[in-house]
Amino acid sequence: MQALLLRLLALDRRWIFLLVLISVMTPIIVPIGLPVTTTSSTRSAFDFVEALQPGDVVWLSFDYGPSSAPENDPMAQAFLRQCFIKELRVIVTALYPLGGLGLANQSVAKVTAEFPEAKYGVDYINLGYKDGAAAVMRTLGQDIASAFPTDVNGRPVSEFPIMQGLRTIRQVDLVFTASTGLIGEWWITQVYSQFGTPVIIGPTAVSAPKYYAFLNSGQLVGMLGGMKGAAEYENLLAAKHETLGKYYRGTKDFTATKGMDGQTVLHGVILALIVLGNLAFFLTRGKKAGAA
Amino acid sequence: MEFAGFGTWLAAFLTLAAFSFLYKDNPFFRFAESLFAGVSLGYYVGNVLNQTLVPNLFEPLAQNFGTNWDLLVPGLLGLMLYMRAAPRIGWISRYALGIYVAYYIGVDFTRRIHGEVLPQIARTIRPLNSLEATTLVSLIFIVGVYSVLVYFFFSKEQNAVTRPLARLGTSFLMISFGAAFGFTVMGRVALLIGRLNFLILDWIYPTIGLQ
Amino acid sequence: MNTDFGRVTLVVLFAIVPIVGIALGMRAPALRSKIPLLVAFFAGLIPIFSMYIPKRFLSGDSGMSPRLDQWLIIVAGFALLLGLTNVISNSYRKISRRDKGWPYAIVLLAGLFIMGGFGIYGAISRQGTGFLPNGSPTPFRWVETTVFQPLQATIFALLAFFMASAAFRAFRARNTEATILLVAGAIVMTGRVPLLEFLAAPFPALHPAAAAASQFMGKATEWIMDTPNGAAQSGIIIGAALGAASMGIRVILGIERGYLGLGKGE
Repeated sequence: MQALLLRLLALDRRWIFLLVLISVMTPIIVPIGLPVTTTSSTRSAFDFVEALQPGDVVWLSFDYGPSSAPENDPMAQAFLRQCFIKELRVIVTALYPLGGLGLANQSVAKVTAEFPEAKYGVDYINLGYKDGAAAVMRTLGQDIASAFPTDVNGRPVSEFPIMQGLRTIRQVDLVFTASTGLIGEWWITQVYSQFGTPVIIGPTAVSAPKYYAFLNSGQLVGMLGGMKGAAEYENLLAAKHETLGKYYRGTKDFTATKGMDGQTVLHGVILALIVLGNLAFFLTRGKKAGAA
Repeated sequence: MEFAGFGTWLAAFLTLAAFSFLYKDNPFFRFAESLFAGVSLGYYVGNVLNQTLVPNLFEPLAQNFGTNWDLLVPGLLGLMLYMRAAPRIGWISRYALGIYVAYYIGVDFTRRIHGEVLPQIARTIRPLNSLEATTLVSLIFIVGVYSVLVYFFFSKEQNAVTRPLARLGTSFLMISFGAAFGFTVMGRVALLIGRLNFLILDWIYPTIGLQ
Repeated sequence: MNTDFGRVTLVVLFAIVPIVGIALGMRAPALRSKIPLLVAFFAGLIPIFSMYIPKRFLSGDSGMSPRLDQWLIIVAGFALLLGLTNVISNSYRKISRRDKGWPYAIVLLAGLFIMGGFGIYGAISRQGTGFLPNGSPTPFRWVETTVFQPLQATIFALLAFFMASAAFRAFRARNTEATILLVAGAIVMTGRVPLLEFLAAPFPALHPAAAAASQFMGKATEWIMDTPNGAAQSGIIIGAALGAASMGIRVILGIERGYLGLGKGE
């Protein structure tokens, strides 16, 4: 027994890698369709957006890169769909230097193709990427066009009806930041704290624990924590809006809800590995101590 | 082979090259890693130029110099940063670096105080005058914040009062770190799911004729 | 010519003073550190004062602070590319000396020049870095989606494997603290996903119990995240923010000057 456990502890880690690979691949090939429950932070985010009125202005910032796209893409896209269904006016930006803009372009192209009635420059606009996120946020509090004089394609923002009469971020009804790292946090600690614009954050799971402090202090309207938060949001949307329900049930594209199958299986595997590792560790340690 | 198909194959090859590190370090991984570093820097160049320098510096100067003449200064300060590399006049870059770093630290200062310290302290000030379930939760919360702060207070040696408090703070931190571990697992797995989805659904399935 | 007070003051502080400082510094090396610190002092003070002093010259539309914010967006753009000079010179040195792994330095430079070249072409031709008017991608965007995105995503996805391996090898309940960490982690990992439903799936009799247990674990997770985790995070945020703010004051006052490559006495 002891020899077996010792061998287990000395197992080549590539076997564990293989186990991980198989447990994530299997649910992609054979989807399980496990249920997704809703947490209060996602629910409050969803309810806040639902309560907005047609014509209200929301700001969607892509503050993440390809390194966290499977978590952040679904939430940004779900939010964008909700905005178009609710006929909110959407301003898109990207403040994450390493890949934020490309993902913003991608998601905007994808979702606007599903909503052909949404007009560029009237119902939504993509202002593109800007360096110096903290300075950009300060400038937004004074004059949006000073930070973003043109849209992503270099056309002056003054040309677009959506920007008429919209001078500062204080006039925006909600900021939604899908984010990795610090930039999402700055929307809360800088933009909300100094200009009062409500913020919903969609952080990666890695940074989500920190944002509970901001939820507690009332600095955040809501939070979609990682892929799980995105899956919850997709389910809330599907339940509330028939067209989106059809979309999420029928799409062949990747959704966070589909991703939750793989999450669940691998969580089980990792928990089993932790238990096994501890068992092997304590049993072999006990025997060694006894022998000594 | 159509162009889009080639793109998928290239992306799949690079994905596998990067994954090959799991077996062992090898030239394919090194190639992918170096390419990634180079392309990332090139990506910065393209975005900074197209999205920041052209619309916020070059165009305002070219189109309306009378209003925007002062933007010459940040342009020059930006170039001055690069004088660090010059051996004898590297000190000149200190002006640009000083302005850049001190400004962002100034902004950070206001954010820390108004966005973090004050609201978080306000959250911990809660009425404890009635005995309800929420009062108990508030109490746990306050004890947690306070003990964690005591744990982080390194300026004075701990005594008989602060030592057990700091130890309690450690317990709160451990719960938080454990929770963070759980969340981290979730995040990392999500990335892997994303990659495998691409390999299976966008590359392998179309290649073998499955939808 | 726009001669708003804010702009002129900024130009005096951050252009005229540095020019005078550079001229003086050529002759008197001692001034090469003193005047930059003085200039930095003002650069740090303006964003702070603009929050507390609602005066037009400072925070009004044509005041110093909003214009300085716009300036620093531009400087940040330049700063982001600072690493370029180092990377190019290091790679060039590696290649010319045929150091170990020099072919990879060629790959790196090739990636940089191709992607950067497409970016520069996009800026000159005004086609940008996204889509062309006909909806097809620019060359920059093509490389972005076929090379940059898959590589970045995959390199980060590798972490999932290492984390699983670490969970098996290093995540041990060695003492009280580690046990608390482990238990909290296990609850959260169970509570965030429908793991119990998944495990009970082959046994229909267990479905209601699994659903109830899963709901309980979900609630427990929410409580952990809100209360003990929330409290710890609040404590960390307050502690770290006070530390960063006091460090900020040291930098602005010129006490902390390591970032300029200066020692204490310089």
